[in-house]
Amino acid sequence: MIRRCPAASSMRRPPLAGAIAAVFIAFVAAPGYSGEGQCDVPAELLRVDAALPNLSERLRAGNPVKIVTIGGASTTGAAAGSPDLAYPHRLQEALDRWYPAVPITVVNKGVPRQTAQQMLERFPSDVIAEDPVLVIWETGTTDAVRGVEIDDFAAALQGGIDKLKMRSIDIILVDMQFSRSTATVIDFERYLHTLHRVGEVNELYVFPRFEMMRYWSEQNVFNFDGVAKNERASLAARVYECIGRKLAEAIRLALQ
Amino acid sequence: MDRARRWTEQAGPGLTTPPACAGEHRRTAVLPLWGWLRREAPSAVGREGPTPPSQQRDLRLDLFRGLALIIIFIDHIPENILSYFTLQAFQFYDAAEVFIFISGYTAALVYGRTLAVQGAFFATAQILRRTWQLYVAHIFLFVIFIAEVSYTVTTFNNPMYNDEMRVADFLEEPHVAIVKALLLQFQPTFLDILPLYILLLVIFPVLLLGLRLQPLLVLIPSFLLYVVVQAVGLSVPAYPEGHVWYFNPLAWQFLFTVGAALGLRRTRRPHSPPPRAWLLTALIIVGIGFIIRLSWTIHGIWDSSPGLFLKELWPVNKNNLAPVRLVSFFSMVIVVGSLVPMEAAFLRTAAVKPLILCGQQSLEIFCLGILLSALGHFLLSEYSSSIGTQLGVNVVGVVVLCLTAKMIDWYKTMGRMPRAAGAAGGRGSAMSP
Repeated sequence: MIRRCPAASSMRRPPLAGAIAAVFIAFVAAPGYSGEGQCDVPAELLRVDAALPNLSERLRAGNPVKIVTIGGASTTGAAAGSPDLAYPHRLQEALDRWYPAVPITVVNKGVPRQTAQQMLERFPSDVIAEDPVLVIWETGTTDAVRGVEIDDFAAALQGGIDKLKMRSIDIILVDMQFSRSTATVIDFERYLHTLHRVGEVNELYVFPRFEMMRYWSEQNVFNFDGVAKNERASLAARVYECIGRKLAEAIRLALQ
Repeated sequence: MDRARRWTEQAGPGLTTPPACAGEHRRTAVLPLWGWLRREAPSAVGREGPTPPSQQRDLRLDLFRGLALIIIFIDHIPENILSYFTLQAFQFYDAAEVFIFISGYTAALVYGRTLAVQGAFFATAQILRRTWQLYVAHIFLFVIFIAEVSYTVTTFNNPMYNDEMRVADFLEEPHVAIVKALLLQFQPTFLDILPLYILLLVIFPVLLLGLRLQPLLVLIPSFLLYVVVQAVGLSVPAYPEGHVWYFNPLAWQFLFTVGAALGLRRTRRPHSPPPRAWLLTALIIVGIGFIIRLSWTIHGIWDSSPGLFLKELWPVNKNNLAPVRLVSFFSMVIVVGSLVPMEAAFLRTAAVKPLILCGQQSLEIFCLGILLSALGHFLLSEYSSSIGTQLGVNVVGVVVLCLTAKMIDWYKTMGRMPRAAGAAGGRGSAMSP
């Protein structure tokens, strides 16, 4: 198993990620699109070398699959107007298309404004009790906003990962959302770095949402900053749809 | 052994006999009010006429503090390619340790002399005056921070980022937030090192008196407190609820105290480099730290290159100044202290002059650096984050910092001139602001 992946590594150090992505986009990625419309990202950002052994086994056996997504407001998806427009539901739609023979359920356990530690405290009721085979943990935003101590953040992540690993549950971590405006007032870098490094130390896949959204922003696919009031919900819905689809693609790659 | 003997030697006579350098006292004693007006009294010592080498300003302190300030500016710009080449990319510690250590050292050097010549009350007054300057600077930076956040949040307002917008929560209770800021309990990102410095200076009069009385009397409790923090994780609460001081003063005080102890020692006996015997050990520690930390940095860029001891050592705690950081920093101090003599010729070359000037105007340059890095970050995230822009922002920032230091130096020198000419009789005018 090759666990180190260049995409994840560049994410761990966002400064260089930007540089690498810029060079990459300029010289390599542009010609090679797969034709999926506005959700496209450079292949570099969708390289998955971690495996999902438990999910893989369940799918092969054709047994029902339950996935829990635990996270903050962007998991809840309230900004889009309906839970059906949130990324967990989009993920389920994509997986249903690809694995029609297997009943797949994606449970949305998003609660706004929670730190990794607060989410960890929800694990017994919201995650373990659901008996999932895969947990998608979207976290770090509130920690960065509140300036939680980096060590505490890392410890909370590790605590959650240990809990899940002990029960043979697969894990995918999802990092923060990107927007130029928030990036000027919130120091995401340390938290991104920590999230990715914790993922690496535990040999997990970290879905690079921050870098993807930055790519979309830089390519003017989506404008996160100057969006008009009446367009906000539909923008959120489109972005969540892309995130859900990309997550599904990442999962499919991890299963290969 | 050698070291321990020196400590005890130093402690004994310090109580009764006046410090060694009589000429220096005369100098300061002749100009008591003059020094008061200046930020750091000895800053002029090196410039004004020939003085014995032992009393010359130690330009190494200025140089390395200046370097630390430039690095702090660079590291504070998120997503900055140059941060791959700063201290934290190849050592376990970063510019914060350099800054705090040298600050402790120079504070003891400066106020230790005041204490010896003009007594404890005046030294305390001087220290508190400096603390006040730092405090005002911090509040000024805080106001700018509030302006930036409130502007961004109120103009942005995209529901997709509800969680992110909590960063402006304090705007909902300004009556609490502002008071907490005045009490140094509200420390937004990057506004966290000045509160530490302010707190350390507030307790510095007591620290200084204790160090003068008997260094171990201060160093041992300081070390024990540091150990307790490492063992049980004591921290200092901050605002909002659940936050702690980013730089835990209970841990970082030890670094400052050690710096101060060494600085004070310097006011009493001729300067001597660290014992030769320590150099080899220190070099080994610095070398190992360099290899390990650099491997992490490279690993962060190219995954296939291994991060040595990553699982064992990472994360290295900065809030509580993890022993790994402290030990490698002290080793570096020994290495630099041994290999870079105070009289080194390069310290007087034009090439390092800008850095030395930055180090001499540390408060202004620090504050300006924080502002410029916020501005640089804004430019990078708002317009373009290409490598070219990143380098441009860095270069412009560093040039602005150096020019500002030069300007402040010029201004202060000009302001001093008439006073210097009439120093004997013109003290009254020196008092006026």
